[in-house]
Amino acid sequence: MSVHPVVIDEPGKKVLLMGNEAIARGAVEAGAAVATAYPGTPSSEIGNTLSRVSDAAGLYFEWSVNEKIAFEVAYGASLCGQRSLVAMKHVGLNVALDVLNPVSLRGVNGGLVFVSTDDPSQHSSRTEQDNRWLAKQNCIPVLEPSSPQEAKDFTRYAFELSERVKLPVMIRTVTRLSHMRSDVDLGPIERLGRTPEFDWEGFSYRVAGFEKLFRRHGERHEKLDRVQAEFEGADFNQLKLDGSEKVGIIGVGFAFTYVLDAIRKLGVESEVAYMKLATPHPLPTEKIARMLDGVEILLVVEEVDPFVEMHVKSLAKTIASSATILGRETGDLPREGELSPSILDSALGGLLGISVDRVDRSGVEEKVGELLFDRMLTLCSGCPHRASIHALKKAVRNVKGDLMSVVVNGDIGCYGLAHAPPMSFEDTYFCMGASIGVSQGMERVGVDTIAWIGDGTFFHSGIPSLLNAVYNGLPLKIVVADNGTVAMTGFQPTPQSGKTATGKPAKKVMIEDIARTLGVDSVEVVDPYDLEAVQCAFERMLEAEGVAMVISRRACSMEAVRAMRPDKPVPYVVDAELCTGCRICLSQFGCPALAWNEESGKAWVDSAICTGCGVCAQVCPFGAIRLEGS
Amino acid sequence: MGVFRLVIAGVGGQGTLLASRLIAQSSIDAGLPVKIGETYGMAQRGGPVMGHILIGEGAESPQIRPGEADALIGFELGEAVRRGVTYLKEGGLALVNTRKFPPLEVISGMMEYPSEDSLLSLLGEVTSDIVKFDATAIAEEAGDAIATNMVMLGAIVESGKLPFCEDVVTAVLRRSVRATYLETNLKAFTMGKTAYGDSSK
Repeated sequence: MSVHPVVIDEPGKKVLLMGNEAIARGAVEAGAAVATAYPGTPSSEIGNTLSRVSDAAGLYFEWSVNEKIAFEVAYGASLCGQRSLVAMKHVGLNVALDVLNPVSLRGVNGGLVFVSTDDPSQHSSRTEQDNRWLAKQNCIPVLEPSSPQEAKDFTRYAFELSERVKLPVMIRTVTRLSHMRSDVDLGPIERLGRTPEFDWEGFSYRVAGFEKLFRRHGERHEKLDRVQAEFEGADFNQLKLDGSEKVGIIGVGFAFTYVLDAIRKLGVESEVAYMKLATPHPLPTEKIARMLDGVEILLVVEEVDPFVEMHVKSLAKTIASSATILGRETGDLPREGELSPSILDSALGGLLGISVDRVDRSGVEEKVGELLFDRMLTLCSGCPHRASIHALKKAVRNVKGDLMSVVVNGDIGCYGLAHAPPMSFEDTYFCMGASIGVSQGMERVGVDTIAWIGDGTFFHSGIPSLLNAVYNGLPLKIVVADNGTVAMTGFQPTPQSGKTATGKPAKKVMIEDIARTLGVDSVEVVDPYDLEAVQCAFERMLEAEGVAMVISRRACSMEAVRAMRPDKPVPYVVDAELCTGCRICLSQFGCPALAWNEESGKAWVDSAICTGCGVCAQVCPFGAIRLEGS
Repeated sequence: MGVFRLVIAGVGGQGTLLASRLIAQSSIDAGLPVKIGETYGMAQRGGPVMGHILIGEGAESPQIRPGEADALIGFELGEAVRRGVTYLKEGGLALVNTRKFPPLEVISGMMEYPSEDSLLSLLGEVTSDIVKFDATAIAEEAGDAIATNMVMLGAIVESGKLPFCEDVVTAVLRRSVRATYLETNLKAFTMGKTAYGDSSK
C-alpha cells in the first residue's frame, strides 16, 4: 500500500485530508515526539491516524485509559522538552480538567497542544458544551481553524506558540470540520531530534525552590498578554473594513465559512465589513475595536455558545462603542444547535433588509416523512450486546417478575442502544462510568438497579466507582458488556486486548481479575451467544447477596467478521416448513439480518449480513432457524 | 466555472465514503478544489449516511443548501428519496439504486417499506431526471455486492455531470483500490456506465 498522506514528505503536495487527519499531520510536521488520546466522536480519527503512522513519523502514540491520563502523559513529555499532542472529544476535557489548571499555571517546556472537538447539535454526544469557557477559565490560548488546511497549519503553529510562551494551547474544532475532507497543501516535516531532559530549573521544587514555582497566576496573565499581542497582528485574524459599511460580522473559526457563503449568495461583499476570527481567546481587541468603531451593527457568528459575543460586548462597554452587538445571546442567531449556510443567509438578509431566495421543500418533505421510516439506530447484526440484553430481560422477569422492578443504568458505548426498540431495556445513561456510580445512590435509598457498562468504559472510569461500592458495602449488580474493543468510536483496543494502540504486544489486564481484587463477591464470565448460560448467570447475579458482576464476553461481531476475511461467516437460514410466522425473532430480538417475507408470511435471514452467531436460532421457539447446510 | 454540488445518500457499510473520496481525489487530480461534508453521527452499519461534495472555487462550508444540489447519488431507495427531495435542485439528476435496505422499523414489523412507485413519485415532485436501476444486482453480477459503489460511480461518470473526465476517475481508481479487488471494481464501474446509458434512454 502507498504511504499514508499524513507522513508524505513532499512539501507543497496537495492531498485529500479529513480535518482530524490534518491535525495529525500538523503534529507530524511540528515534530511532535509524543501523542496521546482517548477515542470519542468526533475526535477519534486524530488518534486512529497517529496510531497508523507513528512508526513512520517517529512519534510515540498511545490510546490512554482516559483523558486525564492522556493529558498527564503528554505533559510529562513536555516537561522533558518534547513536543506533545493530546486529543479528545469535548466531554473528555471534563475528565482532564483536573490537570488543566496546574499545567497552565506551572507552564510547559516542550510545546503542548491539546485538541478539543466540540459537537454542535450533539451529532454523537450527550452534551453540547463549548470548551472555550474551560480554556478561558484556565488562561489557555485557543485557535479555531476554519478548514482542514488551517487545522494543519494552526496545529503546527500552536506548537511553536506553546513553546515560545510556555503555555498549553488548545485547538478547538467542531464536528463539521473534524469530519470534512478537503485538499490540503503539505508543509515540511520538522525532525527535531531532541534529547529529552527534565527541565530542573524550570519545574523542580528541589532545584528551583518551592516559593519560586508555586504562585504563578500573575506570570500566567503576563504570558497571556504576550499571546494577545501576537494574535493582534496575526494574519489569520483577517479584517475586511472599508469604513463605509453599516453592518459588520465576526465569523469565528469554522462558522466563518457560513458567513462567507452567505455574503456571496446575497452578493453583499461591498456592503458588510467582516472579520475572520481564529483566536476566540485571547481576543485581538484592537482589531475588534476598529470594527466596533466603524459599524452600527455587529453580528457575532460562532458555534455553540455566545463566547466571543459576550466578550465583544464587554469590550464595547470598555471603549464606549455605540454599536449594537447581536448573536446567539440576543437570539438573532439560534441560541443552541449547529449553524448552517441557510441560517446565515436569513440572518444576514434580515440585517440588510434583503429578501433571500430560499427553496421551500417542506410540503414534499412532510409527505416523505409520513411515508418513510426514520431508520432508527440499532445494534449491528450478530451484536453480542443484543443477546445479552435479551437474556437479561428474561432473567429479570424470572427472578423479579416484572421488567419495571429495576432501574437499568446504562453507560457510554454501543450498548447504550439498549434503550432502543425492540430491546427497550435501559433507563439512563449520563457520562463515562456513571452507571456504577448512579446505581449506588439509587440502591442506597432502596431502589433496585442494574448497572450496564461496557469494557472500554469500565477501564476508563468504572474502576474507582466499583471500589466505592465494595468499600461502602452496597450489594450492586453489574453487567459488563464486554466485546473486547471500543467499538462505537472505531474499534480501538482496550487494556484487555493484549496489544497497544500501535499493534505492539501488551500485558492483558482482565476485568474479572480487577473485580475480584477490588473485592466483588461474585464474578462470572459468560458467552452471550449461549443464551441459556448467560440468562442463568444473570439470574444468579440477581439473587446474589453481595456485590455481583457478570462479564458477558464475546468479540464485537463487526470485528469478528473482519478478522475472518477473506472468508465469510456461514449464515443461518429459516426453515420455511417449521416457521409459523409468529415474528418473535423480529419483534422481540430484531437482528438486522432477519427479515420478513410478506408473500410467504415467514421470516428469512439475509445471508449477506448474517454473521452466523446463531442466537436467533435460540430465540425461535419452533426451532425453525438453523445453520445453513445443517 | 461555478461550484458543482453533489449529494451522496445511503446507509452505513455501503461504501458511500469510498465513492466520495474517489470523486474528491479525482477533483484534486483535475486541479479543482474540493470539499466533502460527511454526517454519520452515531450511525454504524445500517445507519443513514449522507455526504455533500462541493467541487470548484467559491464554496467555503462543506454543506449544500436545500434545493441546490446539481446531482444525487442514492445508494438505497428510501435514503435517495429522503435526501433527494430536500437537496436536489429542480430538474437535478437523481441516480437511484432501487435496492431496499430495510431498517429496524420494517424488520421488527412496526412499519412497512413503502413501494418504489410511491417513493419515486415523491422524488418526481422535485425532478424528472431520475435514473434508476438495481445497482446491487449489477454489482453482484460483477462479482461482489460490495462493489455497488463502483456501479454508482460508473453511472455518475457516464452522466457527464462531473466537471472532469472519465480517465481521471479510472486513474484514481487504479491506484486507490487494492489489487485483489481492482478487477471486480473496474468491471462494476463499466457495468454502471452501461446501466446509466440503458436506464436514461
